[in-house]
Order: sequence, then structure tokens, then C-alpha cells
Amino acid sequence: MALEDFAPEMDRCSSCSYCKWIPFDQVKSWRFAKNCPSIAYHNFNSYSARGRYTVARSLLRGQSDCSETVKKIVFTCLTCGSCDVSCKICRYNLEPLEMVRELKFSLVEQGHELEALREVRESYAAGKNTQGKSAGSRGDWASDLDVPRIDEQPMPVLFHAGCRLSYDKELQESARTAVQILQGAGVEIGIRGDQELCCGGRLYSMGYRQEFESSAEANLAAWAEAGVKTIVTSCADGYHAFKRLYPRLGSQVEVLHTVELIDRLIQEGKIKFRSQVPLTVTYHDPCHLGRQGEPYVPWDGVEKKIMEQIVVYEPRRPRYNGAWGIYDPPRRILESIPGLRLVEMERNREYSWCCGAGGGVREAYPEYSQWTASERIAEAKASGAEALASACPWCERNFKDAVQAQNGGMKIFDIVELVQMAM
Amino acid sequence: MPLSKELYRALEDIVGTDNLSDDPAVLDSYRYSLAHTAIHLGPYFDTFTPRGAAVLLPGSTEEVQAIVKLCNQHKIKFKASSTFWSAQGYPSTENTLQLDMRRMDRILEIDEKNMYAVIEPGVIGATLQAEAMKVGLNTHLPGSGCSCSILAGATSYFGSGPSNLYGGWHYDNLLAMEWVMPTGDLFRTGSLGSNCGWFCGEGPGPSMKGIARGFLGAKGAMGVFTKCAIKLFAWPGPEILPVEGTVPAYGVSLPELFRAYTLAFPSWKAWADAAYTIWDAGIGYLAHRQFNMFGRDLKHAMVKILTDPTKTLGDLEQLLQDPEVQRVTEESTRDFQIVLAGMTPRDIQWQDSVLDEILARTGGWKVEAMNSPEINPWMLLYLIRLGHKNLNLVFGGSYDGCFGMLGAADFGAANAEEAGLFKKKWEKHGAIVAAGGDCMMGPIGGQGGGGTCLWENFTCFDPYDRFSTEGTLEFFNTCTEFGLEKGWGVGMEKWNDQARGPDGRTPPKEVRDKIHRSHPQPSAFRYQHRIRETFNPNDLGDAYYETLEE
Repeated sequence: MALEDFAPEMDRCSSCSYCKWIPFDQVKSWRFAKNCPSIAYHNFNSYSARGRYTVARSLLRGQSDCSETVKKIVFTCLTCGSCDVSCKICRYNLEPLEMVRELKFSLVEQGHELEALREVRESYAAGKNTQGKSAGSRGDWASDLDVPRIDEQPMPVLFHAGCRLSYDKELQESARTAVQILQGAGVEIGIRGDQELCCGGRLYSMGYRQEFESSAEANLAAWAEAGVKTIVTSCADGYHAFKRLYPRLGSQVEVLHTVELIDRLIQEGKIKFRSQVPLTVTYHDPCHLGRQGEPYVPWDGVEKKIMEQIVVYEPRRPRYNGAWGIYDPPRRILESIPGLRLVEMERNREYSWCCGAGGGVREAYPEYSQWTASERIAEAKASGAEALASACPWCERNFKDAVQAQNGGMKIFDIVELVQMAM
Repeated sequence: MPLSKELYRALEDIVGTDNLSDDPAVLDSYRYSLAHTAIHLGPYFDTFTPRGAAVLLPGSTEEVQAIVKLCNQHKIKFKASSTFWSAQGYPSTENTLQLDMRRMDRILEIDEKNMYAVIEPGVIGATLQAEAMKVGLNTHLPGSGCSCSILAGATSYFGSGPSNLYGGWHYDNLLAMEWVMPTGDLFRTGSLGSNCGWFCGEGPGPSMKGIARGFLGAKGAMGVFTKCAIKLFAWPGPEILPVEGTVPAYGVSLPELFRAYTLAFPSWKAWADAAYTIWDAGIGYLAHRQFNMFGRDLKHAMVKILTDPTKTLGDLEQLLQDPEVQRVTEESTRDFQIVLAGMTPRDIQWQDSVLDEILARTGGWKVEAMNSPEINPWMLLYLIRLGHKNLNLVFGGSYDGCFGMLGAADFGAANAEEAGLFKKKWEKHGAIVAAGGDCMMGPIGGQGGGGTCLWENFTCFDPYDRFSTEGTLEFFNTCTEFGLEKGWGVGMEKWNDQARGPDGRTPPKEVRDKIHRSHPQPSAFRYQHRIRETFNPNDLGDAYYETLEE
């Protein structure tokens, strides 16, 4: 795709502003009705999906240049996809999330990358990770684990830790815990250790299409070599990359998030809880596991019109609107933990508020990123929760940082930590 | 023409650096395509409203006053908009300062006892409704839907919608208001002007509603409304709507005190008789001919798509072949939707029995397919929250209404079939969606005696397609001719022709004067000219405030 391919959408977007709010049917209060952190923080129309459509059109037509303001408009999009869900309440022929990704690709390919994101790209080029760390230390998190390395011992099930869990020392315990829980339940699983590569998902959301493709191709080749049939990850970004983006490049590997597998193992009686966890917990749906965690459906078709002017697609185009994301497995896990009380935030499932870490925003706009996280913490507090659990290390990192900046007030967990506490 | 550095700095001093922009790309996100939606002119292919000189995000009444005073000092036009729903909220001359009222979005008070809310411009229908429901109250939502500013509908337009029947039009619900006049002076109307609170728009204190609003609202051309009180009405439902279902097929089930029906009738006369009798009997909470907006031939197939999260528009043709869909479509030819809300269980039983009696007398019936568990909760939620309004645009991306015969139920009902057939013939030209001719939608009742109904015949087209957009314009031109020939008057397709021309700018004075002179009541515009001269001496608004000099 190219930005020009979205020209029809730029004209067909009616600037209705649904993209600025959660689905209206779900509005429960004034306080938590907004969906898009970007427009909520910056306020000008340009920072919403409707505005980005018009900015893209303005650039395409040469009516404006790629000023610093334009770069900010484009790169403050978290690519969280909340606009996409709300837009598609009423529209079947717009893809605002795809358009803004294309807008990022377009700017990067024209040489308009952000300095902060250039550092991430260079980190990937040097060490195949997004954290500015050496490739050789990537497997350190698992150095004390008795788990096969699939590059030495081919195995059908691979646990992919991802860049954040591999290098973030405060969080990586949950990767170890996930592997141990799965092994304890009888799952034969391997890792790649220091051979593991970035999934490329975050690079993709920052506008680095080429780097994503090279990462995906390298991963797919390594998996094929090791006979990997199933990949398990605790990272929602990785999950999305493997589940939704890799199939475009031919991947046929089964993709599971850790919570899906743990949920299955609990139902099969292979994980049993023995301890009470007396906590009131709310669950944060990571964007890339929830609304963007829908299965990939191949499609290669064209637009056509029926009834003279109704825009449809031949063949029927798959619709990604958050309906079929991964929402229930993490909730079933939490509800099955003895003593734990699950409460919902006002914005949940497909219309969750983003953690603020995505799309390169954490790296490029830290203040705005932290504001986004602190809004979610406020919502968690309003739900009556003592703790917020998520299923993505990027969310967890951003929330921990926001809570620390506020001097506490909310405990932050990865779900696997709560599972371990209950075992 | 860019703002001078001096003026930019002066504006920056008022709103702060982060709340002002003259970046061309930002300004382009504050332009509106005239190949678009409910603008009641055109449509004009690949034409946009003029680029503003700058966009400002004021955060307080004081900031608005300071901006407006500066505009007077420099003789710069300004235009405020809250939610930017249609072209009416956008400038019609170059170099206008655009005020985006988004930051002023607080609900300042909900007075439960006196049943009103005090709101700022950025408060949308959905959030006010959600907060009002927590104290057993509700707000009328304009037909443009719950995404729109409640203050804008009340102060600057007329705010008609499905709850007209019970909640009135929004200009009726407007109580006291705070108005930054076109000179920058502050005016507090009604009871607020006498320091008696917000409870009344007319007094004790100055009643300036007619002056400030003008004919059908000043649409941002006469200063800025920064706060208003809006009348609320009873909500006998839960504090939070218990919404269920898979996106986008959300629904709500409220069986104890609520009913949602699609009623259909054997003739248009029976349809109108039922509308009058519902008003006379005092039943009903919401009433709207809603889903007919998809078209007489498509409406049930569309309902099937919208209530099934696995379906898309790509399923439409197949659904239209389904004999059951065809049967329900035929059964629903002359229909409207109604929601009954009982204040007590006895009340809802009584309303139900009254409705049955009305149906018996008029020969009408409830469309049973719309009572299915898949559809009925969706229909109820749709009408209560009005959060799917942009289904207006679902087909090709754009729509506008034609005809829009506004009046008592008999007026529209007597002419609906002819208007529908007229459109159906045009659908064969290929420029607009072939939906069955009759795509008329609008509210039922709302004023004494069962009027007023609005018969807005939705015309859907593709704004990206020159043939479609220009063909729609040609169709609308013939609608106007046909409406005049039939004595229905100029249809809503031309309502704003006096405010904006084919280039998106204010039309020449002679064009505007000609339109105003041909109006049934041109003196209203002469009077408004006097008002404009007095209250807006530097003429810093645009032609959406309609004036006639002589």
C-alpha cells in the first residue's frame, strides 16, 4: 500500500469525530468518555483520526509541507486503534488505523523520522532489539532456567520473550515465571535465548516498514529451521506482530499469548490454585492483544459498487473492528484465582484506553506518554481496584513509571505474577 | 494571508502557545468538504471551506472575550464551533479566526431538583446524558446525534431529534445563557442576568433569546455562547445503561419500564392519524422514522447487517434475496419507531394498552421482526443514545437530505409517496444510492397537536466520485424545482444556499438578497439586519446569520 491508496478514504471520511470518543453506546460518564489519547492531550482536530486524514490529504496535494508540527501530529499517534473501533461503529469502508500507519511509513520513507525514533532504529540495526542493548545479553533473563534453546534443540513450541522482557530487569521475572508455569503444566517449550530477535512490531508502529519486514523474515526463517509450529509470548506487541502482521509475509505458525495458554491449562486442570490472593484487581486490555488481537484473514480484492453508489469489496473484505480480540481468557484467569475480586474499568475490552507506550510515543514524547498512563491509573482507581493487571510488558512498564511518578497508589502486575501467587 | 507576528503574539498571550496554531496542515484539518454531509447546499465536488487564519482553543469565557475584542480591534472575522458536525460551523470567508471550543467542555452543574444542567460548549450529548441518567434525568438529543454539542444545538440551531415528542426541541430547552457578544462584551440572559441563577431563559432578567439566536439559530455568526443551562427531563431507567452485545451490535434490555416498537400502517393517512393520536394521548418518549433512512428497499437488510457483528455491507445483496427480509421490508413500508417509557409499571402498562388501541383504530401493527431478541435491544439503545448517527454515511461516505417537508404530520404524509417516487426515478441515473426512493426520516411530533414532523429524504452518494457528487447536485436542483412546482417550498437541500456558494465562500450580496426576498417572511431578515448592525457593528460573523438590508 501507499498513502495515495488511501485518497478515497480521505474524501469519504466525513469528519464526524466519532474517532475522538469511545463507542457512544458505552459512555458511562463524562470523565472516561474519550478514547484517543492523542486528541485528548493535544486538542487540535489534527491529532484525531479525522484530522490525520485531512493532514494526509493536505500533504498529498502539496497544500502543506512536512513541518515539525506535522511530524508531531503524525508521530503522536499511538497506533492504539481506538479510533478504528469507534469509526467502524458506523462505517464499513474506512480504515483509519491502516491509514495512519501508512502516513508514518510515508514520512519515514521521505526522510522525516524523529530523532528519538532514529535511535530505536539504530538500536535494531546494531543489536536486533529496540532497547539500545547488546544482542549478546538478550538471553540473560533465562540464564538460570532449565529450558531448551530451540536453535540447538528443535522444538515445536517456542516462547518468545520480546525486547522489553528480555532487557527490563524489573519486569523479566514475569518471563521466567511464565516459562516455569507452562513447564510445570507439562508444556514442552523452548526459547531462543540470545539468538532471539525483535519481532519488529514496534518498529512497524513507528513507521519503519522495511526494518519490520527484515525482522519478520529473519524470525520466520529461524522458526522454520527449528521446526516451530506454535509461538507463545507474554508480549501483546509481539502477539500482534506474529498474529496479524507475519501472516501477510506467509507465516502459518500458530500464535498464542501466554494468557490464552494458561487459561486453557486451567480449564484442563493442569494448573491448580492453592493460595488465596486477596486483592481487588482491574484488568487493562492491551491494545495489541484486545482490539488489535483479532485473527488475520487473508484478503486480496478490489473495491466495487453495488446499488449504484454503495462501496463494498470483491471478494468480501474482512472487517477488523475489535469484535474478536482476546478479552475473555485473561478475565477467566483472574476470576479463577481464589480470593481475587475482578472489577472492570469504565473503558474496557475493545474500547479500552491505551497505556501510552505504543507507536514510538514512549520514546519520542515521554511526558504525553506518561499522561496517558496516568489517565488509566486514575480510571483504575475509580473502579475501586487496588491493583491493575495487564498482559503486556510495555503497558506494565508505562504504568509502573506513572505510579512511581505519583508516589504509588496502585499495584501493577502482569497476570502471570498473580497466577504464580495463587499456585 | 498569515497573521501578523504582532497579532499572533497577542493571541498567544491570551490562550497560550499550545492552544494556537497557524500551521497549514492544522488549518486544513479545520476545513470541511462541501462534497459532504447535511450541509444543505451543493454538494460541490472537491470543494472546501476556506482555510482559516489560525485556530484557537480558548479555555475560558475570559479568553473568548479577549479574542473577540482583539478581532474587533483588528477587524478580523471569527467563527466558533464546538463539535464541527457540518459546514455551518466552518468559516465562509478567508482569514477567519477559528475558535475550537473543545477545551471548554465541563458540565458545571446538574440541578436535579429543578431539572437542568449548566454546560459549556464542548459538552456532547452522550456525556451529558450519561451524567444526567445518574440522577434520574435525561437530555434531549438533536438529530445530529450524541456526538454533537448540546449547547450548539440549543443556542445556535434548532436541535430537533427523536425525543422531540417528550423532550421538546432544543431551542425550547434553552434556559439562561452566557453570551460573548460580537463586540466582546458579556451578556447574561434570563434569570442569570438578574443574578437569580440559571433556571429561566426569559426572566426575571433580560430575555435575549430571539436576538442572540435569530432565525433558526445564528450558527456561529453572532458572537460566542460560552455557557448555557439546558432543561432536562425524567429518565425512569437505570443510572448506567446495561449495554450488552458484540461491537457494533450493542444493545440494551430494559424490559420493566421500556418498550421499543417499529409501527407500520396500511396508508399514509393512517400513519399521520397515529402520530396525532400518540400526541393527544400523551404517550411515548421517543418517536422517529429512523431506519427508513437506509431506504424503503434496504432498511430491513441493513438492520440485519447492523445487528450481526459478523456481517458487512458485502452481505447486502445476498440479504436482499432473502424472502423473509423481503417480507419484513414490504411490511414496514410506512413505518416509524417509537419508544415508550413508563414512570411506573402501571404507567407502561397503560401506555402499551393505549398504543394497542391506537393501532386498532388506525389499522396499524407492530413489525414483529423488530421485536426479536437480536434486534429489539439494539433498536432501543440506538434510539435512547443516538450513538450510531453516522450510519447516515454508511453507504458511500456522504449524504444530504432533500425535500424535508417540515410541518404537521398530514403535510408530509400527503406528499411522501410522490416525493419518494420522484427520487426513485432519479436513482436510476446511477449517481445516488438506489435505495427505493423513499428514504424519508425524521421525528414524530414535538409541538402542540402532533406537529412537527420532518420528512428529510436521505440521498446517499460517494464524495470521492465526481459523477456521483455532481449527479447528486443535479438531482437536488431538480428536487427544488419539483418542490416549488408542487407548492412544498424550497427543500432542505437548499437551506444554506444563501450562506455559502459553490466555491465554499459567502455568495455575493445580490444572490443572498434574491434568496431572502423570495422567502415567505423577508421582514425577518430585515429585522435581523438591524440586529446585526446594532450588536455586531464590525460585521465579524458570516452570512449564516441571515440579513436583508432594505
